[in-house]
Amino acid sequence: MNSPDVIVIGAGVVGASCALALTNAGLRVLIIDRGPVASGTSGAGEGNILVSDKEPSPELTLALRSRNAWFEVNEDIGGGFELDGKGGVVISRTESGIAGLKKLAKAQRENGIDAREVSAAELRKLEPHISPTIEYGVYYPQDAQCQPMLAAAQMIRAVKKRGGKFIQGENVIAINSKNGQVTGLTTKKNTYISPIVLNATGTWAGDIAKLAGSYLPIAPRRGFILVTVPAPELIFHKVYDADYVANIASGEADLQSSAVVEGTASGTILIGASRERVGFKSEFEIPILRQLARQAISVFPILKELQLLRAYRGFRPYAPDHLPVIGEDGNISGLWHAAGHEGAGIVLAPATAELITAEILGKTPFMDPTPFSPKRFMNRNPNAGIHVAS
Amino acid sequence: MKLEQARVVVVGGGPAGLSAALNAALSGASVLLIDSSSRLGGQYWRHLPETWRDQSELHLDLDTGLLLISAVTNHPKIEIWSGAEIWSATHEDGATTLRLITAGVEKIITTKVLILATGAYDRTLPFPGWDIPGVMTPGGAQSLIKGNGIAVGKRVIVAGSGPFLLPVAAGLAQVGCEVIELLEANSPLRWLKSFPTLIQNLSKIGEVTHYIAIFNKFGVRPKFNRAVVAAHANQDGELESVSIAKIDSNFKIKRIKRVKCDVAAIGWGFTADTSLAGALSLKQLVTKDEGVAVLVDENQQSSIPGIFAAGEITGIGGSELSIAEGVIAGIAAAKYIGYKVEISNYHHKTKAKKQKFAKALISSYPVKSGWQSWLTDETIICRCEEVKYSKLKFAVTELGATDSRTAKLLSRCGMGMCQGRICGRFVVDLVANESGISPSDISEKERISVGNRPIITPISIELLANGE
Repeated sequence: MNSPDVIVIGAGVVGASCALALTNAGLRVLIIDRGPVASGTSGAGEGNILVSDKEPSPELTLALRSRNAWFEVNEDIGGGFELDGKGGVVISRTESGIAGLKKLAKAQRENGIDAREVSAAELRKLEPHISPTIEYGVYYPQDAQCQPMLAAAQMIRAVKKRGGKFIQGENVIAINSKNGQVTGLTTKKNTYISPIVLNATGTWAGDIAKLAGSYLPIAPRRGFILVTVPAPELIFHKVYDADYVANIASGEADLQSSAVVEGTASGTILIGASRERVGFKSEFEIPILRQLARQAISVFPILKELQLLRAYRGFRPYAPDHLPVIGEDGNISGLWHAAGHEGAGIVLAPATAELITAEILGKTPFMDPTPFSPKRFMNRNPNAGIHVAS
Repeated sequence: MKLEQARVVVVGGGPAGLSAALNAALSGASVLLIDSSSRLGGQYWRHLPETWRDQSELHLDLDTGLLLISAVTNHPKIEIWSGAEIWSATHEDGATTLRLITAGVEKIITTKVLILATGAYDRTLPFPGWDIPGVMTPGGAQSLIKGNGIAVGKRVIVAGSGPFLLPVAAGLAQVGCEVIELLEANSPLRWLKSFPTLIQNLSKIGEVTHYIAIFNKFGVRPKFNRAVVAAHANQDGELESVSIAKIDSNFKIKRIKRVKCDVAAIGWGFTADTSLAGALSLKQLVTKDEGVAVLVDENQQSSIPGIFAAGEITGIGGSELSIAEGVIAGIAAAKYIGYKVEISNYHHKTKAKKQKFAKALISSYPVKSGWQSWLTDETIICRCEEVKYSKLKFAVTELGATDSRTAKLLSRCGMGMCQGRICGRFVVDLVANESGISPSDISEKERISVGNRPIITPISIELLANGE
């Protein structure tokens, strides 16, 4: 492919989704990644497709559309990425927590989310092994899960079959532009020409923006996940503590963690979730692993009997206002961003791709994309000499 | 958490770990020896039950082992924790913290000086039917003989490559198995190339003579350029026969015959157990046999000051080299924490001699890439997750994996209980081949990262939660 219509940088779930949507819209797409498919944050998560953790906001509108879009993608490319509409269960044990969860569920219902309060008995029907101390929960049938690496790989496979191209192992070293308009990019090996470059590099999106002479304030927010040995099916939904929602919204740099537990197609059980802003610090922090284990046991005491097989960590792309960055760059025309989805990159990917595709083609998107626009950081561009709080 | 003030911590109770522990103690240091097995000796001196009548017949230098075990066990400065599984290791501010489980309890120790002697395990290659009960590794067969002194089967085939096949075949014959075939995949001509080095190690020549005498007694006739390329099960799913192939110098099949047997012990040398070294981010290198070894200096010190390594994890070389390295590591570790000892030149010379021999030996028993042609689409590649070859190939050809980590996450090869200890090494070769990367172009990083496991061995969620 000598002259693609769009170059997508990043072969994670967001990049792959955008490449698929753009290809389906008739554009010739070239995907470039410095590593193999899903080698960044997409390969280090749980595959959350959640609407339950979203407060009424533009992000919720995006998540609701995206959740359904995942099932359309599944149809479109013939599956192969373990998409499972298993549903989610959010629990709370404190009076204030339960009150907050009730309020959240009510607001969510008013915004189109199926959020059903369940009694202690109903809770046990949904999750027979849940701790006897838990008596209140909200059931979210729309929550789903997928295997994110397979999702990215299968979408890229479809893109290639439909005429697109994927080049891996090339590190982008320059975004080329002329008179404020993108002309392509240069890797350590080659130069590629294209009028549109889409930055889908997640946690590293700020680096690409900087290469282009622009600015995106995206920082890593580290998380650990524990994986148990394969077990007979013990946990049937994505089950998590309502504290999780508060943790996501928190802007604190210090460690926050809350129980998030779910089974997978392969029989292992995933235990999360921690959040902390410590840069790209890669060491395995044993105290955090212990805390995750304690919290998981408090929700599912039966987990005591299982063994920890492995653990992994990833870096969520964190934007200071917790909203993803979707749209055209404010400084360079032809440079687009689809990044900064923090821990919601999997769920938001297909709807992000729809927004990007509609905007690039000049069509009316399904929702107003203004809240996600990269232009919201324009006046904070340090290159423009304005001070930025770290 | 307890800081092991001025105590040398040794991990591994095989030849290298025992000699390291003993020499650190003889140098004046207090020693804590941690071993995962219930009895000292490692894989090599996994000795027979007390009742076995003549142990030395089954194991040539068992006397050395028993002496070393007894010296270590009786030394007042050495404390021994047997049956202890280390699940996590981290290094911070010049000290290493080991978290381990022993008798269902977690213990945490922090030490300024550590010797790793975690040894090696059988290197395996997949082939159709290798997951049938009755197909085992030579190490597995040997531990059955030496641990229990029992015959593992009636009609036994020993195959693969490397000198370790000889004692295993001899041991099986002596406990009453009929060793119907002893098959070496490489040509005897390869030996001749390294003969000048081999002849300098007369004790090893003596060993070979000893085994040949046993083979003559029991009618075992070793054959070369042959390999077991498929195994077949009976109706009960047990091993019923194997396909034995005459192979060329690249291990490609020339012709096949089928032979009935109930046990096949097949091994291709050894893989160093570098999990602990990997967890501590010690620098590692790729060895001539495409394995991985911990990088050490002449005094066995790793890339992290205060952490030493000895034995098979610094390069496969057999028990005598392991002992020589253990001696040096033990003295060097004591010296590191202030004991006034020197490593005599004699130890360095012994080590150099054994190393030369080990290198010559490894070049006599290469594993050639033709083994990949033995596989079919249906062949299981990852036994834990039951991943077929076709699925691994799909991850590469359709899903775009070009490295083994991506292939693993897209196919589940190496994601199961053993965490890639068995399949990790050969999956690297299979993925490279499928991606059109020649074996010599596989990066060091790719081979080394296969052994990286932050959780070294599974730990119960309850113990994890209860720990400090």
